[in-house]
Amino acid sequence: MRLPVEWITELAPVEASAPEIAHALTMAGLEVEATEQTDHGTVLDIKVTPNRGDCLSVIGVARELAAVYGVALRLPAGIRSSEDEPPDAAAFTAVEIEDPALCPRYAARIVEGIQHGPSPEWMQERLLAAGMRPISAIVDITNYVMLEMGQPLHAFDYHTLRERRIVVRRARQGETLTTLDGVARDLTPEALVIADAERPVALAGVMGGANTEITENTTVMLLESAHFDWRSIRRTSKRLGLTTEASYRFERIVDPAGVVVAADRVCALLEQLGIGSPVAGVVDEYPAPPQTRCLSLRPVRVSRLLGYDVSAEEVTGSLSRLGFGVKDSNGGTLSVTVPTWRPDIQREVDLVEEVGRVLGYDRIPEGLPVGATTQGADSEIAGLAEVLRDRLVGAGLQEVVTHSLMAVSPFDDPATAHERIAIRSALSEELSGLRRSLVPGLLDVLDRNARRGQAPLAFFEIGRIFVARGETHHDETLAVGGAVSGPISPRSWHASGPAPVPFFVVRGLVDAVLGALGCAYRVVRSSDARLHPGRQAAVLVEGRSVGVVGELHPELAERLHVRDRIGIFELNCGELLRVWSSGRAFVGLSPYPAVMRDIAPRVPSSVPYADVLQIVRDAGGPILEDASLVDVFMGPPLPEGVRSLTLSLTLRASDRTLTDAEAERTLEAIRTSLKQNCGAEFPGT
Amino acid sequence: MDDISALVEAAIAELAQARSTADVQAVEVRYLGSKGSLQALLRTVGSLPREERPAFGARVNAARDELTRRVAERRAELLRTERDRQLETETVDVTLPGVPIPAGRVHPLSATVRRLKSVLIGLGFAFVDGPELEDYEHNFAALNYPEEHPALDEQMTFYIDDHRLLRTQTTALQGRIMDHRKPPFRIATVGRCFRYEAVDATHHHTFHQVDAFMVDQGVSLADLKGTLKQFASAMFGGDVHVRFRPDYFPFVEPGVDYAVHWSGRWLELGGAGLIHPNILENFGIDSEIYSGFAFGLGLERIHMIQQGVTDLRLYLENDLRFLRQG
Repeated sequence: MRLPVEWITELAPVEASAPEIAHALTMAGLEVEATEQTDHGTVLDIKVTPNRGDCLSVIGVARELAAVYGVALRLPAGIRSSEDEPPDAAAFTAVEIEDPALCPRYAARIVEGIQHGPSPEWMQERLLAAGMRPISAIVDITNYVMLEMGQPLHAFDYHTLRERRIVVRRARQGETLTTLDGVARDLTPEALVIADAERPVALAGVMGGANTEITENTTVMLLESAHFDWRSIRRTSKRLGLTTEASYRFERIVDPAGVVVAADRVCALLEQLGIGSPVAGVVDEYPAPPQTRCLSLRPVRVSRLLGYDVSAEEVTGSLSRLGFGVKDSNGGTLSVTVPTWRPDIQREVDLVEEVGRVLGYDRIPEGLPVGATTQGADSEIAGLAEVLRDRLVGAGLQEVVTHSLMAVSPFDDPATAHERIAIRSALSEELSGLRRSLVPGLLDVLDRNARRGQAPLAFFEIGRIFVARGETHHDETLAVGGAVSGPISPRSWHASGPAPVPFFVVRGLVDAVLGALGCAYRVVRSSDARLHPGRQAAVLVEGRSVGVVGELHPELAERLHVRDRIGIFELNCGELLRVWSSGRAFVGLSPYPAVMRDIAPRVPSSVPYADVLQIVRDAGGPILEDASLVDVFMGPPLPEGVRSLTLSLTLRASDRTLTDAEAERTLEAIRTSLKQNCGAEFPGT
Repeated sequence: MDDISALVEAAIAELAQARSTADVQAVEVRYLGSKGSLQALLRTVGSLPREERPAFGARVNAARDELTRRVAERRAELLRTERDRQLETETVDVTLPGVPIPAGRVHPLSATVRRLKSVLIGLGFAFVDGPELEDYEHNFAALNYPEEHPALDEQMTFYIDDHRLLRTQTTALQGRIMDHRKPPFRIATVGRCFRYEAVDATHHHTFHQVDAFMVDQGVSLADLKGTLKQFASAMFGGDVHVRFRPDYFPFVEPGVDYAVHWSGRWLELGGAGLIHPNILENFGIDSEIYSGFAFGLGLERIHMIQQGVTDLRLYLENDLRFLRQG
């Protein structure tokens, strides 16, 4: 909201410069976002928080400023109260409120002898400073009073009102109204309208209707000043996508007690400026004025919550300056009457804030909580994520953070398309749904960096993924995913061996990650359509799938500007946490030497290595400490369909030095088992 | 000159001629070996008169000792030369680059999270994770937002359906803690939030927040200010001053917008305040006995301040040139 400084200081006479005033208001909670020098004077751009509808006016801002500086607020003078006048207006019109819950108060005043013309220059200057375009004396005066007092007002051409009366009611199904912006609007019973005897003439609290607009022919005017339920105005405004100065204020609650005085202020200005002659009296429908709110306030509570000692005098003084009534009721507890323009003050703590604001938050000292000590800690799953992060960074991968919101991606598994969670009425395709895998985001990162010629292309992400479970439920899980294309180590002049099969690069990352967590897992062939049919696998922990590893299907990879094959993996951290938290028991270190032996069975290629390893382990028994694959050989002189696997075995007993004979017996058992169980041969032995 | 002296001199001459340890080895075998000259000389002792034998033996032994010593000396000398020559041939251009070690890095936001976690954990806060896909109840209703209130306009929300939404603030965790924990507690959370925002250098529809709150007896705004001072001092370094000004968030009363004075300027960091007694009471916490504070701030903002980054969009773009500056 933009307001000229001179208007504010007219009501709050403070000796201060514009920047000082801006600072004082900001430190009191009315944030001045900008102080601008304009052709119409110095203007403050004030951000009013949604709880402070009362500050959407010059008086409201001036009241805050006056309270901070401790000066008296000067309200506009020369307003004659229509409530003290003879009720002449009642002969002109009648007001009927059908639904007082939606319109608790409606006041109408009549002004005769309307003269048309511009408003005076001083008023136009203030309107321009506030960012409003001067239009005509009548429109300008109602806008001026709205800015001054915060009460939206509307003027009808009295003679266009059928039967010259006002009915505040819900719209009837099928009714339409062309509003002042020229738009014909279909109305529903949810909308509150101002009607005459026959038809809607205004969208209550939002905008007037063209059918009763003030024109140059208008001689008599009916001035509306009313109070509407904020929810009702908000709904109408939202549904029609129409926010006006009036609806914005009504949504933030306008002082119901200020309805008539605002109308009287308009009439006083019309009379002073020779634009019209107000008819005495007001037609004021106000069936159930709300009770004045009265709150108890303990000054000791103020001190306790603000964290420093505040005297009873300071409490009383601060609140009085803001217009609260304060009485000492008993035992030091104050009885505080809340002014009608402060519906946001609901309970004692709200008064504490008011006192704190007026005294200044700078008075709050820097203390530290005392009392029970609490144990700081990280969350369990975040701890697991840190282990994964360390391992993957150590492996040379760059961590990335990608979008949760994304368009439908070709890199998502089409088989699980129904598991995508869509955003309701999404504004764009990019923001239309939630990721159910980290892979599309990782591939996007890979692609973007490849386009810029960056290397290495090796990324991982630890983030939430979302999977729909029916219409109303979902799973949200932390996942870790990676994508690698080309060597992780930068290209260099140092000799390097042939590039490994990309699958085994990502498989190695999965091995590293799961190894870091110390959990047992198996890898089995899978059939994910996104991946190379022969180079993909599911990762199983305790028989449950925890993720996938593989090479991106070459057809899909063609969509990306990446030269090398792309390996990806993704694991569910929630599943990993289950096995990680079970922990590992310490295994004692054997003081006895190990016996190292290699074996090189020739095995039919159709036998998976995992099976060979399992046979070796089973046959090796407890003294087989470790078996690792050190070579795989295929091709001549081996026959087709046969490969030679070289395993390096470590044999060790925990309680004695192994004899050669013992070691040989174990090796023989392993060889025999391999021969029997997977048709292995051992040429030359 | 007798045979012994001649032999020693011949051996010494040969040692001097030796060009390699292998040559020395040959000399050693020739003179000192079991079939060598000295051994052969010793075998002639039988032909000498009995009284001359001890003296002859002693001289042969002395000759062996001398030759042994000289062989060792010459060998050591040649070894040194040979090693020097070998090291010489192994000399490399030390200005060539080394074997590249792959260098992974954590994302700047992760690095920031690590840092702020260590600070807040040190201040006694336990981290708990809340869902990004929240419900209306926790994101708004439990936080004292009146239904349909204009305060909701400030947080344009991504809705999934009538109940589910993407959390607009990590404060949404408060209700999830208070519905099963009794005070005192100090809880913190960090994570991703979403609001409809047009994306520019300072706004994004996806951003990250950290939120911390504590509930105990007698917690005041002074405690909040002091805690923020400690937090900001640890995060930014130096003696940081905290400034409060009033602000409005439905879940706190009094509400605070806080800034810290750092590097000669005031930095607005986020919102804070005392937890609204309505919230405490909704979760069965007696607001006459207990009070609490809460504060939140943007993760990106912390890193932007620390590193002088001026464009918020960089955090989700994942350009390696940015990430490497971590």
